[in-house]
Amino acid sequence: MTRERAVMAAILGMTLTWTNAGTAQVRGTIFGPGTRSYPVAVSPLKSLSGPAADVGSRFADIVAADLTLSGYFKILDRAAYIEKPEASGYTVDAINFDNWSVIGALALVKGSYTVEGDNLTLEARLFDVYQRKQLTGRRYHGSIGELRRMANKFADEIMAQFTGERGPFDSRITFVSTRDGRFKEIYVMSLDGGDLQQITKTQTINVSPSWSPDGRSLLFTSYKRRNPDLYSIDLLGGHEVLLSQRPGLNLGGRWSPDGTKIALTVEDEGNADVVVVDRGGKVIRRLTDNWAIDVSPSWSPDGRQIAFCSNRGGGPQIYVMDADGGDARRVTFQGTYNTSPAWSPKGDRIAYTSRLDGGFNVFTVKVDGSDARQLTQSAGNNEDPSWSPDGRYIVFSSSRSGRSKLYVTDANGASQVQLTHGGGDDSSPTWSRWLE
Amino acid sequence: MGKRLIGAVVLGLLVAAVGVGCSTHKKSAGANAAGAGLGEEGLGAGSSLEKYKQGTLGAGEEGPLKDIHFAFDSYELDEAARGALRDNGKWIKDHAQAKVEVEGHCDERGTVEYNLALGAKRARAAKDYLVALGVSADRLTTISYGEELPLCHEHNEECWQRNRRAHFVVVSE
Repeated sequence: MTRERAVMAAILGMTLTWTNAGTAQVRGTIFGPGTRSYPVAVSPLKSLSGPAADVGSRFADIVAADLTLSGYFKILDRAAYIEKPEASGYTVDAINFDNWSVIGALALVKGSYTVEGDNLTLEARLFDVYQRKQLTGRRYHGSIGELRRMANKFADEIMAQFTGERGPFDSRITFVSTRDGRFKEIYVMSLDGGDLQQITKTQTINVSPSWSPDGRSLLFTSYKRRNPDLYSIDLLGGHEVLLSQRPGLNLGGRWSPDGTKIALTVEDEGNADVVVVDRGGKVIRRLTDNWAIDVSPSWSPDGRQIAFCSNRGGGPQIYVMDADGGDARRVTFQGTYNTSPAWSPKGDRIAYTSRLDGGFNVFTVKVDGSDARQLTQSAGNNEDPSWSPDGRYIVFSSSRSGRSKLYVTDANGASQVQLTHGGGDDSSPTWSRWLE
Repeated sequence: MGKRLIGAVVLGLLVAAVGVGCSTHKKSAGANAAGAGLGEEGLGAGSSLEKYKQGTLGAGEEGPLKDIHFAFDSYELDEAARGALRDNGKWIKDHAQAKVEVEGHCDERGTVEYNLALGAKRARAAKDYLVALGVSADRLTTISYGEELPLCHEHNEECWQRNRRAHFVVVSE
């Protein structure tokens, strides 16, 4: 066994332990995120419709950025590529794999595209350089404006090939930001920071945006009618519905996974409780009825349970209850201040914010309360975690570099990357499911 | 003119009953149009939200009623807070027509949603104490702004202490 193979075998073993998923199909060498070691060449796509624009290189840029962010891959510098896209083929027979192995690539992305008017047809392929074979190929049709989604989808496919699980990139993140002035407005962006869209322009306080299960609308709480009311806004048309306007808080609305109802914090005589309302905002059931603060509901992926934050035991702690409000049990036992629970889409863990030595850090814990893990250790406040659709990553806000910005980490905290930059504070990120 | 009149009536109802719960749907344009108007006019000049919109929050105070302050993650009223509430209660009782909104605020530490809930507790604790002092409950409304409207933006205890407050706004006199 060569040294290289021995290293690969070791890495493989490590990752199998990490994913701990019997369903994972291992088709290549896989590693833990944060190792950033698998060398991939991502070639710009070849234009089949004449010398057209920069579609081919933009596709490669987005795929490369996604793969870098994943923590699994090292993207080889494009300047080192010997085969130029316009002067070479993109099928197994037409690729000279020696040109790629000599620069150290173990995997290669090549492909082609055609632009007709506003229509883009794009074909992307993933090759194993060592075995000289195609691992997967995908054809996408759409408008040129959908190039980013095509690239994100293909990055997800590459992740599936190497790790057995689809990647998280064909998704979006909603968050609150003061980048446009002093007012907290709601924004949406893709994971690579592209496709940034300002959703509200209300010039007041807006908080707690979250996604509908189909990714087509957001829930958020706004003071625009003075009272903190719950709204739903459609992302395509901008159609907005006032869903809950009880006196006091109408806060932190979260759609149930099946999209039939919303868990919500409302206020009764100064005390926050969690209720469930129907699509029209009518209260179906009160889940907590307690003198203490009960806030921040987060559904389990099967919709049968809800995690929430309560200070019924003194300081705020994370609890889990049945979706009908029964059988509340405490999940966090370390520290005196644990808030903002987020239930993993895999169902096994809950992420939350914990106050520790005066700072705030992101933790995860098993649903039964065991195995609490600290993901962030940095200066500044690390808050409001939200899981990627594949459950392998967590987005959160951090003030580690001054102003509050969004960061993404893998679920073990090994690889932490800053997602947003520039002026203003970015906070309260919530990750969508995969887009449909 | 007709629209204005309706607006004024709606405004009056809102001020009188600060958000009677209902769950009617409103389309975007309607909600926006009504919201802007109500937001602008429905507030007492001393409201922290109104000052925030004007860019004058924290620029200097103001008003006959004193802020009270809280410990971190607490809505207990300490002796200083109770003393200030006694003064505030006397002023309110002396001004029989006055209606007062009690705002609950937090410092920047902790998460947004929990702090909004904590602010609601602080406002309520202040209101309950005023009621216990003999102020009629229907003259007092509450609202929480959580950590959203700090008076001061530095990251130190002196600043945090200022921000952890209940603030009292005379809505009508």
